[in-house]
Amino acid sequence: MNECLVLVVEDDKPIRNLITTTLKMNDYRYITASKGNEAIMLNASNKPDIIILDLGLPDIDGVDVIEHIRTWSDVPIIIVSARSEDQDKITALDRGADDYLTKPFSVEELLARLRVIQRRHMKSENNSITEFVNERLRIDYVSGCVYLNENELHLTPIEYKLLCLLARNVGKVLTHKYIIQNVWGSATETSEASLRVFMATLRKKLDDSRQPLIQTHIGIGYRMMKL
Amino acid sequence: MEEKKLKKGIISSALKDMGISLSILAAATLAGYVFKAFSLTDSDIIMLYIIAVLVISIITSRMQYCLISSVIGVGLFNYFFTYPEFSLSAHDAGYPVTFVTMFITAFIAGSLANKLKRNILIAEQNAKEKEEAALLAQNERLRANMLRSISHDLRTPLTSISGNASTLISNSLTLDEEARQQIYSDIYTESMWLIGLVENLLYATRIEDGKMQLNRSVEILDDIVQEAVKHIDRTHQKRMIYIDTHDEIIPVYADANLIVQVIVNLLDNSIKYTEDDSVIRISVRKEGDTAVVSVADNGTGIPQTEKEKVFDMFYTGGNRSSDSRRSLGLGLTLCKSIINSHGGTISIGDNEPSGTVVSFTLPIGDVKIHE
Repeated sequence: MNECLVLVVEDDKPIRNLITTTLKMNDYRYITASKGNEAIMLNASNKPDIIILDLGLPDIDGVDVIEHIRTWSDVPIIIVSARSEDQDKITALDRGADDYLTKPFSVEELLARLRVIQRRHMKSENNSITEFVNERLRIDYVSGCVYLNENELHLTPIEYKLLCLLARNVGKVLTHKYIIQNVWGSATETSEASLRVFMATLRKKLDDSRQPLIQTHIGIGYRMMKL
Repeated sequence: MEEKKLKKGIISSALKDMGISLSILAAATLAGYVFKAFSLTDSDIIMLYIIAVLVISIITSRMQYCLISSVIGVGLFNYFFTYPEFSLSAHDAGYPVTFVTMFITAFIAGSLANKLKRNILIAEQNAKEKEEAALLAQNERLRANMLRSISHDLRTPLTSISGNASTLISNSLTLDEEARQQIYSDIYTESMWLIGLVENLLYATRIEDGKMQLNRSVEILDDIVQEAVKHIDRTHQKRMIYIDTHDEIIPVYADANLIVQVIVNLLDNSIKYTEDDSVIRISVRKEGDTAVVSVADNGTGIPQTEKEKVFDMFYTGGNRSSDSRRSLGLGLTLCKSIINSHGGTISIGDNEPSGTVVSFTLPIGDVKIHE
């Protein structure tokens, strides 16, 4: 039995059924809510390990739910939204959501996202403040050196800053705006374009033929996968 | 706020018209002095003022300017050129008649010119409206055709999905495992087809006047290709898909979501018209200031005569699809309007030794690097 308790917040019954059936089949425990206020209450009383949150709720906006929960809880939140709502996704991620699913999503995708979050929480204790290890990647924060398969990587100062930011938030999707603000300090149109070039170069330096460490989310941002 | 702006506009244009009128009248007066110096007669000077009023009527927008400048013209003539000069009194008994005639001539000529100008403007506007109406009608026709075709094509998968589901509900115990599996997989396939259709429709609604509304930024071409392939992987196709990116970072100036959809459509087509285990190759390269993306397959290819038609809306390549999967014939049309809206081109050719290559171009993005 999976110890993980999932709070499913979705007002559409067939979708809620789909999610809970999937959870049940894969031995997750779950509770459900169809309204935002109910979700906030259940989160306080039942302390779930993960929340799956639909953005379009009948009573209050999903983004407001995130904001409310984030005032006192760090529970990982996966948001669910329709495809045409890129801006909503970005807002939700900026307000503290961890990941997103786009409708229509497949059952495998949902499970994959849950695993990403669980893995991140299980392994995060292994990493100390002085060192970060993620499969083939090792960052030595003290000396400022980065190793790929124990070979030292030569990164520019910006690339190093980007990598550290992603490593600190491993498993979490970071929006372009968030990354720019944390690496460059100010948000301009040009730095968004140059961010893409920096990330592309960084990804090329980190990738061998195996699974990529850094995922690109078109129109949204980037995420380092916990491998 | 808007109203204030509008009022301001009206006042400033009125001031401009007034300035123009006064300058022209002043110029006519100066010219009158030149005429007088060459001892030309009063009637020549009167002609000057009539010409001035004509010009004013053509340049300014309202009838009032014609009327007022006719009056001022008569006044100026009286003041500067009739005896006694520099006074508004006239001693010659014939002058009042001259003044009235001058006023009437100036006013009639002016108002005719003004009317002519208005007529021209109205005619231009009418022509423009007619053109817009024709375009609107064409768009409406296109939309109506699309809706008809869509509702027709939606009915088939929906019938299959709802029918299959109702069979499962009422006969789930009497069906054997194999029959049930068939039904499950049919429902899955049909709904995946519907999902693909809806994605394309969503983008098709963004076409206006044959142009796509774009949300452009500088994107890395490699990221776009990867994203498109990720969409395809989901549907478990039995094809081998390779990506050649030549290890180069190519920034393009594009609407990333739309270009992802273009590549997804091209891959879908390659999958639809080839057998299992076929090879599909996506390649990306830079040619001068454009980026070129090609999707090549090793299927049976497309006959020369059909190549021109594939970009037409609702064209579905006859019965050549490897199984009886339907197609709306919307995919490539959408690709073409997306690529054209980006200022790129899309073309279809033959692969060696067999198969099809579809290539499109995109403008390279401009990146200033901030260290």
